Amino acid sequence: MRNEELIPADEICVRYQVERQFVSSLYESGIIEIVTVQETEYIHCDHLAEFEKMMRLHKELDINLEGLEAINHLLKQIQDLQKDNVRLKNRLGLYE
Amino acid sequence: MEFIDYYKLLELERSASKADIKKAYRKLARKYHPDLNPNDKEAQARFQQINEAHEVLSDPEKRKKYDEYGKDWQHADQFEQAKKQQAASGGFSRGFGGGGRQSYSGNFDDDTFSDFFEQMFGGRARAEGAHRGAHFKGQDFNAELQLRLSEVHESKKHTLTVNGKNIRLTIPAGVENGQTIKIKGHGGPGIQGGPKGDLYITFNILNDTNFRREKENLYSTEEIELTTAVLGGEIQVNTFDGKVKLKVKPGTQNSSKVKLKGKGFPKYKKEGQFGDLIITYDIKIPENLTGKQKELFQELKNTGI
Repeated sequence: MRNEELIPADEICVRYQVERQFVSSLYESGIIEIVTVQETEYIHCDHLAEFEKMMRLHKELDINLEGLEAINHLLKQIQDLQKDNVRLKNRLGLYE
Repeated sequence: MEFIDYYKLLELERSASKADIKKAYRKLARKYHPDLNPNDKEAQARFQQINEAHEVLSDPEKRKKYDEYGKDWQHADQFEQAKKQQAASGGFSRGFGGGGRQSYSGNFDDDTFSDFFEQMFGGRARAEGAHRGAHFKGQDFNAELQLRLSEVHESKKHTLTVNGKNIRLTIPAGVENGQTIKIKGHGGPGIQGGPKGDLYITFNILNDTNFRREKENLYSTEEIELTTAVLGGEIQVNTFDGKVKLKVKPGTQNSSKVKLKGKGFPKYKKEGQFGDLIITYDIKIPENLTGKQKELFQELKNTGI
């Protein structure tokens, strides 16, 4: 993992104006991943979009952590179903 | 340009209080928020309309103007002008704009307020509407690319159309069915100067060959004559690169396997490295023997085989 792909969690909190506890809670819930390098916690840039999504839902829709966990789980299910749907449509297209 | 009934959009009476507006907005925003409706353009459009309605109705000045002119919004400027003249001659004066706002960003391009909004509240209001503290990365796009197994045996260029844009990509040899790759910066535009989203392509590989593939190894079944299996010999087998000659050892058993090293599928992103081809022998038992052949088999049997 390259260092430039890691963003310090503290910097993210300042930039997005969220409490450090919010980032920790997301990590503890398994919604985002945190990488620790030399006692500093980082979020990988690939997981930033997921973090931003959760932050928007939390800030803008007042959804608490339990709600975010449920939403995260259901969104993953929706994505899987959408993928399956596309795959099946493509398969079907071969026979039409 | 059509008049937009913001009250109707938020399912509100015209007499709705500030709290009613907030409550209605929150309820609909939770339903149509783009983050909760991935890849649903209808929900995204609806959310933008709701956002716009909230933008106007939650701002007392904007709401006042909207309520005052309503369907006659096209003539709002003329009315304003007339009022200003009235004010100059001792009447009242007023302006609009500014004021606090609370609007949701969602995961979409902000520059999509309706022409109606643009016309009525102008560029300044729009600029305010687009203001947020944070910069957001654009939406990630997901696409599926269907390829044949024979097409991914070599690295090839493919052109993909994503949201009306053609993207030319080199698909490395050896990609697997169901594998997803990320193309950085080919997703939706960033919000307020944020970076573009990414494009995720999932491969759906259809097998158009007689080989079974497991990662970089290929598997096939070859029929061989009974006599070849017993006495040994040479056969020709199919590989991905064409036919090759293969020596069959005498006494080869049915379902026995041979491995052709390096004749399998290319290893993903490991140029010049290939898996193996594993061939299973299927010994063909002769049918419809002639009288002579039957006699010979009988003779063999009598020898104790």
